[in-house]
Amino acid sequence: MYYFRAIKEKIFTSLPIIFLYFFSFFHFQTPEVGKINFFSFNFSMILIYYYVLKFPANLGFGNIFLAGIINDTVIGTPLGTTSLSYLTLSFFTSYIRNATLRSVLSVEWFTFIPALFFSNLVYLIIINNFSHMSFYYIELLQKTFFTFLFFPIFHYIFSQYEHLISKD
Amino acid sequence: MAENRDDFIIAIRYALLKKGAKQKFSLFFLILLSISIVILDKFSLPFMSPVRSVLNDIVYHVSVVSSQPLKLRKYLADKVEKHYDLVSENKFLKEEMDYLRAQKFNNAYLASENDMLKDALDFSVQTGFIQDFSVAAKVILDQKSPFLKSLLINKGTKNDIEKGMTVFSKDYLVGTVIETNYLTSRVLLLTDLNSKLPIVIEGTDVNAILDGTGNKLNLKLSYLPENYKIEANKIIFTSGKDGFLTPGIAVAKSYLNDKQKIFIKLLSDPDQALIVNVTNGQINK
Repeated sequence: MYYFRAIKEKIFTSLPIIFLYFFSFFHFQTPEVGKINFFSFNFSMILIYYYVLKFPANLGFGNIFLAGIINDTVIGTPLGTTSLSYLTLSFFTSYIRNATLRSVLSVEWFTFIPALFFSNLVYLIIINNFSHMSFYYIELLQKTFFTFLFFPIFHYIFSQYEHLISKD
Repeated sequence: MAENRDDFIIAIRYALLKKGAKQKFSLFFLILLSISIVILDKFSLPFMSPVRSVLNDIVYHVSVVSSQPLKLRKYLADKVEKHYDLVSENKFLKEEMDYLRAQKFNNAYLASENDMLKDALDFSVQTGFIQDFSVAAKVILDQKSPFLKSLLINKGTKNDIEKGMTVFSKDYLVGTVIETNYLTSRVLLLTDLNSKLPIVIEGTDVNAILDGTGNKLNLKLSYLPENYKIEANKIIFTSGKDGFLTPGIAVAKSYLNDKQKIFIKLLSDPDQALIVNVTNGQINK
C-alpha cells in the first residue's frame, strides 16, 4: 500500500515533466480561425514559467534544457536554441521569484511579459546570427501574444492541480 | 542606492547559481552548456554531424510515437465515417445489383471498356516520367513552425537519399531534401520562406524566382521584369536555371481569388502528402 501510494505520488509530481517532454516531441496543430490562429500558443513556456515560479523542485533545469534540445531537433532550428531560450525564461523567472515577496496573479501575469520578451529575444538573436533561416515574425508574435493571454487560465489549472495533489 | 544595487546583484547571483534541493545542475552551468552547443552546431565540427544525425533519428521516431494518440483519434473518426459510408454504399450497390441482374450483361460494353483502359495505359507509357533515381517514402511528421514548413520522411542515407534531392507528391513538386539522417530526412516545402525556385511563366519567356510565403495559396514571384503583371490561369514551370531540376516541371498556377486579385498557388498540396517520391531532380526528360 505504501509503495502504491509512493508511485502514485511520483507520477502526479512528475506530470509537468511528462507534459514538458510530450509537447517538445509533439507539436499540436490548432485550427485556424480566419487569418489569426487564436489557439496557437507556446504551452511549454507557460508550464516552465509557472513551475519555476511556484514549484521549482517539480521541474528541474536539466529537464528544461533537455526538452529544449528535443524541441530544436523536432523543429529543425540550430541545436541549443530553444534550450537557451527556455533557460533564459527560467533565469528571469528565478529572479522574479527571488525579488518578490508576495505572489499575486496579476503581478505574475505582467512579469511574464518581460520574461517572454527576453526569452524570444535570445531565440531571435540565435536564429539570425547562427542560422540562415528566415522566419514568420507575425506567426511568432501571435504565438507569444496568445501565450501571454492564456497564462491566467493555465495558472488556475496548475494551481488547482497542485492543490489537489498536495491534499492527497 | 548602493544597497538596492547589492540586492539586485544578490538576486541575480542567487537565480543563476543556487541549486534547489532536487536540482542537479545550476542554471549558469546549463546556460553555458547551451551556448557551447549552439556554437559547436554553428561551426559544424566533424563530430557534431554524426551526433546530430543519431539524435535526429531517435527524436524523430519518438516524436512519431508521441503523435500516435492524435492519429488514432483521426483514424477512429475516419473508420466510423467510412463505416456509415459503407452502409449507404452497400444499400446503393444492392439496388444497383438488382438492376443489373434484371438486365443482361453486354459483352460489347466490356470490350469497349477494355479498349478504353488499354488507351489509358498507352497514354501513361507515352507521358511516363523517366528518372535516374526514385524512392517512394512515407511522410511521418508534418511540422509547421514559425521557422520551417517541412515534412519528415521515413527514408534517409540508408536508402541513398541525399541533400538537395527533389520531392514529388502525385507528380507535382513539393520541395527539396534539406537534411538527411540514416533513417529519416527533412523536406523543405516550396511554401517555406526559405524556398527559392527559378521558374518560367507559361506562354512567355519571363524568368523569375518563386518564393515561399508560408501559404500554399499565396506564393510570391520575385525578380520579375519591370511593369510585368502576370495574368490569371498561367501555369508556372521550373526554368532549370538552378542546373539541377529539368526545365518544364509544372509547379504553380496563377488564379483569380474571390476579390478578383491575382494570386499564385501551388499545384501540389503539401498538407495532403502521405506518400512522396524522392528523385534526383532529372525528371520529365
